[in-house]
Amino acid sequence: MAMGMPYGLQAMLKEGHKHFSGVEEAVMKNIEACKALAQMTKTSLGPNGMNKMVINHLEKLFVTSDASTIVTEMDVYHPAAKLLVMAAKAQAGEVGDATNLVLTLAGELLGNAEVLLRDGLHTSEIAEGYQRASDKALSVLESLVLPGTDTLDVKDKAAVALRLRGAISSKQLGYEDLLAPLIAEACIDVVPSNPHNFNVDNVRIVKIMGGALPDSQVVKGMVLKRDAEGSVKCVENAKVAVYAQGVDTSGPETKGTVLIKSAEELEGYSRSEEEKLEQYVKAIADSGAKVIVSGGAIGEMAMHFIEKYRLLALRIPSKFDMRRFCRATGAVAIVKLQAPQPDELGFAKQIEVRELGGANCVVLQQDASLGSVATLVLRGSTEGFLDDVERAVDDGINAYKALCRDARCVPAGGASEIEMARQVADFGKKQTGLDQYAIARFAEALEVVPRTIAENSGLQASEVLARLYAAHAQGQVNAGVCIESGAPKDLAAEGIMDVYAAKWWAVRLATDAVVTVLKVDQIIMAKQAGGPKPRAGDGDDD
Amino acid sequence: MMPMMGMQPQIILLKEGTDTSQGTPQLVSNINACMALADTVRTTLGPRGMDKLIHDDKGRVTISNDGATIMKLLDVVHPAAKTLVDVSLSQDAEVGDGTTTVVILSGEFLREAKPFVEEGVHPRSIIKSYRQACNLAVSKVKELSVSLEGKGDDEKRELLLKCAATSLNSKLVSGEREFFAKMCVDAVSCLDASTLDLKMIGMKKVIGGGLRDSFLVDGVAFKKTFSYAGFEQQPKSFNNPKILLLNIELELKSEKENAEIRLDDPAQYQSIVDAEWNIIYDKLAKCADSGAQIVLSRLAIGDLGTQYFADRGIFCAGRVPEDDLQRMAKATGARMQTTVNNLDKAVLGTCERFEERQVGGERYNLFTGCTKARTATIVLRGGSEQFIDEAERSLHDAIMIVRRALKHAHVVAGGGAIDMELSRALRDHARSIPGKAQLFINAYAKALEAIPRQLCDNAGFDATDVLNKLRQKHALADGSGKYYGVDVNSGGVVNTFDAFVWEPALVKLNAIQSATEAACLILSVDETVKNPRSEAPDASPMGGRGGGMRGRGRGRGMMRR
Repeated sequence: MAMGMPYGLQAMLKEGHKHFSGVEEAVMKNIEACKALAQMTKTSLGPNGMNKMVINHLEKLFVTSDASTIVTEMDVYHPAAKLLVMAAKAQAGEVGDATNLVLTLAGELLGNAEVLLRDGLHTSEIAEGYQRASDKALSVLESLVLPGTDTLDVKDKAAVALRLRGAISSKQLGYEDLLAPLIAEACIDVVPSNPHNFNVDNVRIVKIMGGALPDSQVVKGMVLKRDAEGSVKCVENAKVAVYAQGVDTSGPETKGTVLIKSAEELEGYSRSEEEKLEQYVKAIADSGAKVIVSGGAIGEMAMHFIEKYRLLALRIPSKFDMRRFCRATGAVAIVKLQAPQPDELGFAKQIEVRELGGANCVVLQQDASLGSVATLVLRGSTEGFLDDVERAVDDGINAYKALCRDARCVPAGGASEIEMARQVADFGKKQTGLDQYAIARFAEALEVVPRTIAENSGLQASEVLARLYAAHAQGQVNAGVCIESGAPKDLAAEGIMDVYAAKWWAVRLATDAVVTVLKVDQIIMAKQAGGPKPRAGDGDDD
Repeated sequence: MMPMMGMQPQIILLKEGTDTSQGTPQLVSNINACMALADTVRTTLGPRGMDKLIHDDKGRVTISNDGATIMKLLDVVHPAAKTLVDVSLSQDAEVGDGTTTVVILSGEFLREAKPFVEEGVHPRSIIKSYRQACNLAVSKVKELSVSLEGKGDDEKRELLLKCAATSLNSKLVSGEREFFAKMCVDAVSCLDASTLDLKMIGMKKVIGGGLRDSFLVDGVAFKKTFSYAGFEQQPKSFNNPKILLLNIELELKSEKENAEIRLDDPAQYQSIVDAEWNIIYDKLAKCADSGAQIVLSRLAIGDLGTQYFADRGIFCAGRVPEDDLQRMAKATGARMQTTVNNLDKAVLGTCERFEERQVGGERYNLFTGCTKARTATIVLRGGSEQFIDEAERSLHDAIMIVRRALKHAHVVAGGGAIDMELSRALRDHARSIPGKAQLFINAYAKALEAIPRQLCDNAGFDATDVLNKLRQKHALADGSGKYYGVDVNSGGVVNTFDAFVWEPALVKLNAIQSATEAACLILSVDETVKNPRSEAPDASPMGGRGGGMRGRGRGRGMMRR
């Protein structure tokens, strides 16, 4: 290669680059990679989905069926497959749930596109058909919204728990009755008067090894996995002074030495420092505060006086935890060690040290009127299990957020997908252009949801699908897969529903990602340098 | 050349070096790994269990039959088997005992599930039945447990002794279980009943003497600290002394690191030296003036201080370990001082008696009869270091058991009796349900029998024989046999409840729940993806490609069955 006269792209780019173009070389291979990725996550779909064990590059072990975690930690390398990962991440950011649906649907759509390509369709026709089909599917989805679900009292624990069950049961089947009410309780504790402003960050999750999941509980307030510093371990109805910096003798930032000129100065030196510190701590105690929270170290001398005035001392090294603590108590973090103003003090109903699972934890318990942070204390036997439950709870909290904004729900268990597929297929048949084939394939791809749910539950997928179609043709639009028997069943009656927004975004993002992948017909990879990884560029038409 | 290379990057979905395996074969291999791990610890179960000697990479030798300790030292790298290490550690944290039981149970649940998986049963079906069986077992344990609430103090104490003895029975120190059971119960009853803080029980080890020479101090004991000249002139025993706890150095040294002295006049030099002496004398005087007879400090007390205190008939010790000092504070009611200014009577503590005693080759400071005592110290004696270490772990387990029994005063019959009864109840239940769940619940029931079977195996009895006797007893229609378990002394069966082989119900509950959770977790995994470590850089992009291709290729080969 070196001696020959370079021509074309080779002349343009540095040696060592790679370049692929055309349907066979670029599009098909991209599809193959995306399909392989979707194949991996597919088995995790639905309530009976399997877990994956992923060991990331830091040797941390994840055992999960949460698709966004799987693809993030798997470190996907292939440029086209990365597009799907990005779509999944967008879904996670937008709604926080149904990420697997994005991947599985996109994989299936691409698989079907491959067939169409082999049939001789052009990629742009497929893309066009998919776009139109997805618009149709989304309008069908809107018509499927279950009546009566558009309004929801987000403060009603039972109603919220019912809505959250769907999101939980797809991650931790068998624990949804346990977790949904807990999540609902925690969320309702902190939801502001305008539910649109619900902040996911206000619901904390603390995982403590030991015990079993049924021992989990909700604490209105915070749980910190560390002990209180001093010997005071419990206070009630206390004012709280929060210091962002350490509580210690204040030294100057600039390095300096103290010059001592005479013997008197030497004798008085440490004495004066002590007195100064005592003065500060005394001022804090006099302001009525019974709790001192420090963002940094608490000096030994400071600790001495804190003990002397019987204050509860707490260290919170994490800036984020500190912020939450301030939110939970309504305190203002004071930057400098000085006596707090009355309006800078927070209030805590009860702070005490409890032993949870062999470790001492500081529990800040507020009552209903105070603070805006709630904590879910999860208990379980292994770290991996707890991590997985945490992700399920995270999804649940996100689902609550979605519910606060848009409470509409659609039938679950593949019912919506089947109905969409049915109507999109009908719609396709009415089209005259070549895109009708693409639309038909889109409809077929939607079947993947009920089929996968059935497969993952060990049922006969084709049979289940046939029965579902039959039920839907007879007008039972809410009929979904029953994972016990495989028979079509109205799952909404059992309170299993999907959030409309999650589904809407999933179909949307999956289609977008697929269209993007399809529209790539050339890949140029520059020679890999030491630093950043090669990326795929959307090549111009050749 | 280009097109050929062109084929390759297309297929790399994941980063080079990534290892993936999928499907039933990898599930079976995960199960195998867990079973292998469970097999390592299974011989340690029960009173006749064997110990393990573990020689770690630092050359330290540990002899133990505590499940959690062994698991911790094994340094397991297999991702699935790590789950078992986790459950045993969580059992240790939550209950403190039963760490071997939980590993054996998880291993056994997986072993029973393996043939089903190999036959192509969907793991989810197994998981569902296992969870169901677990719930049934938990409610059955609760039903079978005997409450100790409402009994008199003396009676309760008897019961606690029994629980501690059962726990100790399976340990290295089983020969002296009565002796140690009493010690554990005494130690725990010293503690503050509301928190039962484990840190308030100190454990000191002195090599030499026999196990029987171990003793309990109702207060604090610690080894004599490093001392300077003048120490021997100090009095070594007091009655009702006043005790001062310090967190400062009583030594001649520069006051502050960042202070510097500049003198214009050489004549002032002496005054500075005097000032330093004044400061230290001032501190010492304040300590002495406070009326304290014993001065303890976390930091050093220099030779000047030692001599000064000796002259005034005060006992002092510097560099006392922090946890001991904190327990001193709890025991005597003294408050730790970081400054000697403003000392008042309130910060001094007291105890009934202080003395220095020779224990083996060591000199110990004993503070006994503490008025506000919410603390106790156990001084262990024994032949070798490893032996004492193991004794300490055994006592820790027993103490945890007593703590749990105090908090949740429910016990069940030990010696495998409860496991047999659960197994029988589950089998009965299985017969009443249709479908394949019946098989799985039966498998779960069979797995529970692993505990009595292992007890027999470890004791050298014919497990099949004993198990059959047990099954017969437990199957008696009138329920009279429900407390029958393995008799490790005779090789037969015995009513373990009457024989006072008791376990707190909490240990069993937690073990069953954790083991089921762990087994279900492992069963629910159908794919393992292992990324290369980030430290190993993908140095040569070309060479790495090929490797990545191979890793990827393997995964695909196993993908679909």
